[in-house]
Amino acid sequence: MNVPEQLFYTDQHEWVRDEDGRFRVGITDYAQDALGDIVFVALPEVGAELHQGASFGEVESTKSVSEIYAPVQGVVVEVNAELETAPELVNSDPYGAGWLLVLQPIDLRATETMLDAEAYRALTEG
Amino acid sequence: MRHSPLDSAHRGLDARMVPFGGWEMPLSYPAGTLSEHRACRDDAVVFDVSHLGTVRVEGPGALDRLQSSLTNDLRRIGPGRAQYTHLLDDDGSVLDDIIVWWVDDDAFDVMPNASNTERVVAAFEGDDDCRSADTTATRAVLAVQGPNARERLARIAPEAAAVGRFRVERCTWGAVECVVAGTGYTGGDGVEVAVPADAAGDLWAALLDVGVSPAGLGARDTLRLEAGLPLHGHELGPGITPLNAGLGWVVGWDKPSFRGRSALERQREAGVDPVLRGFRSEGRRPPREGFEVVAGGATVGRLTSGNFSPTLGCGIALGFTPPTVAPGDPVELVGPNGSLDAVCVETPFT
Repeated sequence: MNVPEQLFYTDQHEWVRDEDGRFRVGITDYAQDALGDIVFVALPEVGAELHQGASFGEVESTKSVSEIYAPVQGVVVEVNAELETAPELVNSDPYGAGWLLVLQPIDLRATETMLDAEAYRALTEG
Repeated sequence: MRHSPLDSAHRGLDARMVPFGGWEMPLSYPAGTLSEHRACRDDAVVFDVSHLGTVRVEGPGALDRLQSSLTNDLRRIGPGRAQYTHLLDDDGSVLDDIIVWWVDDDAFDVMPNASNTERVVAAFEGDDDCRSADTTATRAVLAVQGPNARERLARIAPEAAAVGRFRVERCTWGAVECVVAGTGYTGGDGVEVAVPADAAGDLWAALLDVGVSPAGLGARDTLRLEAGLPLHGHELGPGITPLNAGLGWVVGWDKPSFRGRSALERQREAGVDPVLRGFRSEGRRPPREGFEVVAGGATVGRLTSGNFSPTLGCGIALGFTPPTVAPGDPVELVGPNGSLDAVCVETPFT
């Protein structure tokens, strides 16, 4: 499984990339592989307030529906509109074109309490 | 957990294995369910369906026994043909849906669903005129399906590739004797090959060599759903008769008796309600089993299967409603996370 070093992770299999104080969010390679072929992604609107650990949408594959949970508290500033017509990007490029949304976090240091790549790798291999 | 003779072949291909009806079988291969689905619609795939049971029923009394046990009328066909049929409970509920391969004059291969094999064996418990044996472990069954299935199969097994739709023939593949039927569960063309267990791996490998790609249970489910075909445990089961499921054609009304017949007669007189309907929803979000069907503001039924249709690019579903819900009617399909606008449609969906 691909676990890029520079990202932060949750035990719910989301990743966060700190982009100058805004957090780009997606699901991990491990998560997309476990879900199977993704056919629909439900995302919040720009401007929505997300609460840490609360469900903000669903990823639906040919076999299941899975909730996605906010890695940190914040406001949605951008969502990946490409996924409306091409949700398979989450499978093919989970850390790139398959990103879900960008958050303006309440706490800019929120990534400090998240898992680093090594800890996430240990979680998924455990 | 039981394993197919092709188990090591699946693992060698890095298949994702899942439990299904007491067997561990491939859900998908690395290509993924959507790609496997499209390969079946556009080219040729092979499914390992060894988890389907095979019960060999034979002897001079075999035909009579099958006629009195199963709903369909084998006199509509003859030796060398296959027939879809049901085994009913006394109340008319579908205990299992079955394909019968009429292999020889006095020999039938009865093929139930994996989890129902034991009750089908019990239904055909032998006597002197009619012997039955569970031969599931002796063979693998490979379903070669898709518009190019016959052409590709013909390169390695021309006799098998020539078996016509709903025909059954003994064929040789090299020195190996197989039983081949022009049957499947995808809504498309293809054949199913019952091959001795010890030769199954070689046949599987030969099929992959001629460009037939492997497909798993995930694609098998989306393909059968597009074709509007029922799955036992979803569209068929306790409390559901063949008439509820819209499968009146599997009932041999000309036969004097078969198990469940009187219950079906009563239902036919009283009127069939609910009935199985197809629904097509707007957008990609899949409707799911358990969603409520809402028409005119009232909940009128519930979905038994639902998914994304790779061919149509939208959601499709099957569910039971009163017969007043008819093709063309707008409905809502309501799940835990909201509702989908949908329309009742004829099946097959594609």
